[in-house]
Amino acid sequence: MSTDVSAPQGRSRLDVTPPTHVGGVARVSALYSRHREIAAILISVLLFIYFLVRSGSLFLGSNVATLGQFIAPIAILAVGEAMLLICGEIDLSAGNVYALAPFIVMYLSQDHLPVLLATVLAILISAFIGLVNGLITVYLHVPSFVTTLGMSFLLLGIVLVVTNGATGTPPGGNLYADIMGGGNWSELIWAICMVVIFAYLLKWTRFGTYTFAVGGNLNAAHEASINVARIKIWNFVLMGALAGLTGILDGVRVAALDPTSGGTAIMFSAVAGAVIGGTSLAGGSGSVIGAFFGAVFLETLYDGFTLEGVSEFAFDIIIGAAILIAMVVNIRFQRLRVGRRFEELEPEGDEA
Amino acid sequence: MTSESSGQSRISRRQLLGSAALAGGGLAVGSALGGVSPAFAAAAAAASNPYPSHPTWTFTLVNHVTTSEFFVPTRYGAQDACDLFNCKYQWVGSVNSIVSEMVDAMNAAIDAKVAGIGVPVIDGNAFIAPTNRALAAGIPVIAYNTAAPTTTAAKNLQMAYIGQSLFQAGQLMGQQILDKLDKGNIVVFNPSPGSLNLQARANGINDVIKKSGKPITVDNVASAATLAEAVAAVKAYYAGHPNVNGMMCVDTLTMVGIIEVMQQHHLKGKIVTGSFDTIPQVVSGITSGYVDFTIYQQPYLQGFLPIMELFLYKLSGGLNIPSSVETGLSLITKSNIGQFSKYTDRYEGSSAAQKVIPMSGPISVAAGDYPPTQLS
Amino acid sequence: MTADLTGPADVLSVDHIQKRYGAVLALRDVNLHLKDGEILGLIGDNGSGKTTLLKILSGFHQATSGQVLLHGEPVVFRSVSAARHAGIEIVYQDLALVNGLSIAENVFLGRERYRGPLRTLVHRRMRKEADEFLGRLGLANLPGMTEDVANLSGGQRQAIALARALYSQPKILLLDEPTAAMGPRETAQILDLVRRLRDEQHVSILFVNHNYAQLLEVADRVNLLRNGRIRFDKEVEDTSLEEITELVISEVRRALARQTGLPLEDAQ
Repeated sequence: MSTDVSAPQGRSRLDVTPPTHVGGVARVSALYSRHREIAAILISVLLFIYFLVRSGSLFLGSNVATLGQFIAPIAILAVGEAMLLICGEIDLSAGNVYALAPFIVMYLSQDHLPVLLATVLAILISAFIGLVNGLITVYLHVPSFVTTLGMSFLLLGIVLVVTNGATGTPPGGNLYADIMGGGNWSELIWAICMVVIFAYLLKWTRFGTYTFAVGGNLNAAHEASINVARIKIWNFVLMGALAGLTGILDGVRVAALDPTSGGTAIMFSAVAGAVIGGTSLAGGSGSVIGAFFGAVFLETLYDGFTLEGVSEFAFDIIIGAAILIAMVVNIRFQRLRVGRRFEELEPEGDEA
Repeated sequence: MTSESSGQSRISRRQLLGSAALAGGGLAVGSALGGVSPAFAAAAAAASNPYPSHPTWTFTLVNHVTTSEFFVPTRYGAQDACDLFNCKYQWVGSVNSIVSEMVDAMNAAIDAKVAGIGVPVIDGNAFIAPTNRALAAGIPVIAYNTAAPTTTAAKNLQMAYIGQSLFQAGQLMGQQILDKLDKGNIVVFNPSPGSLNLQARANGINDVIKKSGKPITVDNVASAATLAEAVAAVKAYYAGHPNVNGMMCVDTLTMVGIIEVMQQHHLKGKIVTGSFDTIPQVVSGITSGYVDFTIYQQPYLQGFLPIMELFLYKLSGGLNIPSSVETGLSLITKSNIGQFSKYTDRYEGSSAAQKVIPMSGPISVAAGDYPPTQLS
Repeated sequence: MTADLTGPADVLSVDHIQKRYGAVLALRDVNLHLKDGEILGLIGDNGSGKTTLLKILSGFHQATSGQVLLHGEPVVFRSVSAARHAGIEIVYQDLALVNGLSIAENVFLGRERYRGPLRTLVHRRMRKEADEFLGRLGLANLPGMTEDVANLSGGQRQAIALARALYSQPKILLLDEPTAAMGPRETAQILDLVRRLRDEQHVSILFVNHNYAQLLEVADRVNLLRNGRIRFDKEVEDTSLEEITELVISEVRRALARQTGLPLEDAQ
């Protein structure tokens, strides 16, 4: 600016006073809009307290590791789904990539490939499946819901045909197993690492900002010369890789590979975790830390109630009710800020 | 349950490690209480219960198809046992045989320090570690409904198996086929080839037929786990093989498809058919002549006995070691289908009411049903 | 009325611009020139092609035929960033702001500041710079730079969109209905900012607006776009609100006469 137009003190000529409530209510809502994970963290903490009160020391002790194993796979998948949801897409095939990837490791390893190389290749192939999803969605203009739905069936069929329905055993020695999900804490540590990496990506890189922009206002993103196609496709690729990684970790943890494992059930849990964590299904807002805590909330329900001795059939009622409550909390936080868009009336008489 | 002896040679029953009396005793107690409401039964049990008072123990039954119709009588059996012995049971696991869900549920139960665990070992490797963990924590583990395969039997340390010997059940079916057919070609439908329990049965069938040396060819064909797809699979096969001499299935749902095809093409009495378990369609199929035989695995006992054995183990501090029980080599044909078709009852899962079911008449036992006492 | 030929004082002009979308003719034969340091008001009925013209000038679209001239030299803007490089910025009617991102993030969208081998964003610096810049524009009392733009009022959002356009210090600014859906006070503030940009920053501004009275407050000259052509071109001091209103209304009357078959009361 050649001439500095400095604002006079006090009320300037261009006074745009924000017409908002003051005080605590506005602060909470503002906090939520900047940190969407708050609702999920809150309800997770409350749930922990509930189970601590009900089951006492049983909830701690060895159960913490078990709880970690419930949470970890859903958390990793939820991180990937959150990223995609934020940029306005979704991946319904994540659960099937999860099922396929460990079998790729197994078959490659049977062909005498070193197990570490086989693992890397399997994850790359999973990423490639994500790439295909992305290319079809972006360049053929097929809604990602449809693209990934079709891919999900395709992968399910491939897994069944290739394995002939038979279960398998994950390869690898003790050290491999310990690191890749076999140890008590191993999968949870992987999950936390993924959360940290992706939270960094979202907040501290242009890729993250653009992911939000593409989901929040596609036109604005185009206008700002953001390469929308690249952002979306990369997010699909990352989701694919995460899904493959999770499948391998879980397969090693359980020491069994099952062609019918994963599937839509685990994908829905992941999406539910992401949404509970504050990620909007409409795109443009969300949080991977929230996705982690959404997974914590969901899986603590399973673990805690199993601990209490509740039977399977009651679970679904409880899970359904809990998801509804979690979403209501999210929405309430969001809508606390009443009247934010209302213009103040002009003062009477004197000049404005 | 007894099986009819037709005078022809049969596979003798697998050696029981425990005593069949254990099974008989359980049934006797159950039927003694028949005809009264569950609450009253519980009260009566408590009143006449000889055992000392104890905290209400929880037993966890993990399951691979928690919503399956087949396990409804299993859950009745578990509930009745719990009512008798003043315990609680918990039914958790997976809806769709997802092993990691079952392992997670089992681990949570171990953390909850339950009094005992029953689990169908549908995978040879996945349950090794959780079982060891349970045993290390002093929690007894019994396998039920599906046993670990022989290849991993050494590493699977579940204390007993209550259920059907799957391979032998297949052999029993194979034997029935040999009794009825000298040559020709048959099809064996399997909804999930490669899965532990069903594949074992299929292997048993193929094994017996191959060893007999008779010129019978066996087509092993995949059907499906849902009814509509299973029916479609059977129809597709028959369309390509209209001269098949026998149609078997190693599950029970596929038999519905087989019956439908037989009705469509008027095959009653013309081909050999055999199934497993006693869902209503199979029962009426046997009565009406479409199904030659089915092999029953007593789902009620698969719930009752594990609870009972775990309870006795816990009560006695480990003195009453769990016994394996063969629940499943009962051959059901038209001659003994009567009890199944006449009543809807708790033991078949078709009714929740507790009642006494009258005996049908003389009891027929085949030679070799119970293991002889070895003197030397 | 036909337009003058492109003169030496023109910073941006178009010559015989035509734009087709498939079979639809959006612009027929547009001749328009924007003089250095002036505010040119552009009015026109809905569907007259105003937005299309703006999009061509800003590089979002290319004309089917005709020329765009920058300082008298023919140019082709293949993209919005190409136009931006040439010093042309546009503020769309929908403001192109991303809800869910903060004020600072919106101001810097597409040109974030980063450092280090991982290209880490420097949020603090961007917030500070955005805050200073908005202050220099005279936009005080905005909520903090971390506020989600979704929570701002219409006037505030417009201000942010303007700030974003102005951040790259354009010499030519294209504004599409900047005061639409805004109350009188905020309208006055935007108009004041536009005036100051011309007076103090010597920015040339093409200002599309439906509110003729507002337009006459700030514009130096007015063009009317009708049926894909410029049909009116007068300095503001040479015309009046009545004349412009009559201009617009006569077209409505003409269309009504065509439809009903009644004789035209007033001819052009």
